[in-house]
Amino acid sequence: MEFNTAFFHEFSEAHAQQDGYRLARTLTPDLPTDKLRKIWRSQNAHSIRSFLKRGLQGNAAFTGGLDHEELPGWVEVYATYWNALGEILAARESSNEGKNKSSELVWTRAYEGWIDLLNALLRGYQSHKFKNWTIICLYTVCKHLRLFAMKADDERNSNNVVDDSPAANFQDDFDPETNKRQKLEDCVRQLFKAFNICQQDRAALEESRKWGSYYIANLLLKSYFKLNSASLSKNILKNLHAGGKDMPDVSAFPKSQQVTFKYHEGVLAFLEENYARAEACLTDAWNKCHKDAVRNKERILAYLIPCHLITSHTLPTEALLESYPRLQKLFLPLCRCIKRGELHKFDLALQEGEDEFVRRRIYLTLERGRDVALRNLLRKVFIARGFEEAKDGEKPVRRTRVPVAEFAAAISLGSQERIDNDEVECLLANMIYKGFMKGYISRQHSTVVLSKSGAFPGTGV
Amino acid sequence: MASSQTPTKRDDKVAEAEAKSDQQQPAAEQKPAALEEDDEFEDFPVDDWAQEDTEAASGGGAAQHLWEESWDDDDTSDDFSAQLKEELKKVEASKKR
Repeated sequence: MEFNTAFFHEFSEAHAQQDGYRLARTLTPDLPTDKLRKIWRSQNAHSIRSFLKRGLQGNAAFTGGLDHEELPGWVEVYATYWNALGEILAARESSNEGKNKSSELVWTRAYEGWIDLLNALLRGYQSHKFKNWTIICLYTVCKHLRLFAMKADDERNSNNVVDDSPAANFQDDFDPETNKRQKLEDCVRQLFKAFNICQQDRAALEESRKWGSYYIANLLLKSYFKLNSASLSKNILKNLHAGGKDMPDVSAFPKSQQVTFKYHEGVLAFLEENYARAEACLTDAWNKCHKDAVRNKERILAYLIPCHLITSHTLPTEALLESYPRLQKLFLPLCRCIKRGELHKFDLALQEGEDEFVRRRIYLTLERGRDVALRNLLRKVFIARGFEEAKDGEKPVRRTRVPVAEFAAAISLGSQERIDNDEVECLLANMIYKGFMKGYISRQHSTVVLSKSGAFPGTGV
Repeated sequence: MASSQTPTKRDDKVAEAEAKSDQQQPAAEQKPAALEEDDEFEDFPVDDWAQEDTEAASGGGAAQHLWEESWDDDDTSDDFSAQLKEELKKVEASKKR
């Protein structure tokens, strides 16, 4: 808002009530352009600090909230905020007028202006005794820092300007991919400072900035995912766990933070093929997710579905997929093939979706679903063989001796490719080894002797 | 790409032209980039919500309706099952011969 009496009033009220959300709203860049222009023009660089000092002091004295240590901290915060707004205004005006054909990187300047604001705020915590309830201001500033960094990267990439900043020159080998995300990489360094300011606060828990840790951690995780760096993401998790008993449990944080964190933690476990852990995290994220956040629910399911396939060999119901057309397109063909045991069509469906599966990093996991499809096919053969001739009065027993040739016929049915018995036996041995099937192969008789008590564990036969 | 970094002035124009032609390529590949944007977990419009607004509560025990067994004994009417039965009969017949 404009730096006038109303602003000073707002500040001192928010401050007196210790309302972090209200205070954070005075630090948003998310304003209409004409509003920005008004704020920017209402001050000038020479007088802004003394103006702020007088205003903040005057009102604070009135409400009695702001002490002499905090005051210079807030003056700096709002002065850098005002300055950053000037850059943002310039950037918006230049991109609106389309005159930004030159090599001038207006969003880089806006990003850098916003870093000054972040640093002023961090100094507030380090040197000016800002209280932990103001941490919402840090959320707002960090959130937008990341957005400006991405905007700056997009702008530079589309202008194709070679950045000659020292950071770029010090790199030994020039990697255009890294260069593309240069500002975002810088941004994670800034965010990490903010993370440490929260995480390393030793004040008693109720006054601690540790409560800011998960919000900032989530911003870092999002950025690392974008930068494709799983290892750095793991560092953040380690850092949070290292907080130990001083650190409140994640379940004590607002649900938006819990869900976002659990999603990323789950995906990381998924990528490490720790499916049990992944399933626990993703299920937690799913359960706590806001019911109307459809796109986020879809993102959770995109990993939870392959996870379930591996951990419990279960498939999503068609009703579930129906509510998510994108997921339906992605998974339904595979699910149908698995269910029917159509091995060859499964391979085709996997091939068909390969690009998308690889991009979402679920290809290798889904590939392992082939075992489930194979299990179902072999199971069908077993069931088709029916029962032994019933001895009077006894429960009918399934015929548990299955010729390898029958399994072979079933396996090559879809592809019409003959495969030799050795290869079939190898597949069967694997199924037995992996616990999908119970029994042994009698090579002498070219027959599989299946267990009379549960030949296909967990499937009712 | 290395040539665009050489600082000699005469090369600058060439480099610029190269850079421009290079630029055409990524423009065509914009689509995957946009998709990638789409992948990012979104900010929730609110910070926190009540238990009854969660997925777990709203689905009315949805957990049970999410997953089903990966096999299906009822669905034997499809072409594939019929084909399979035919095939198995053939194998058995050839054995007996």
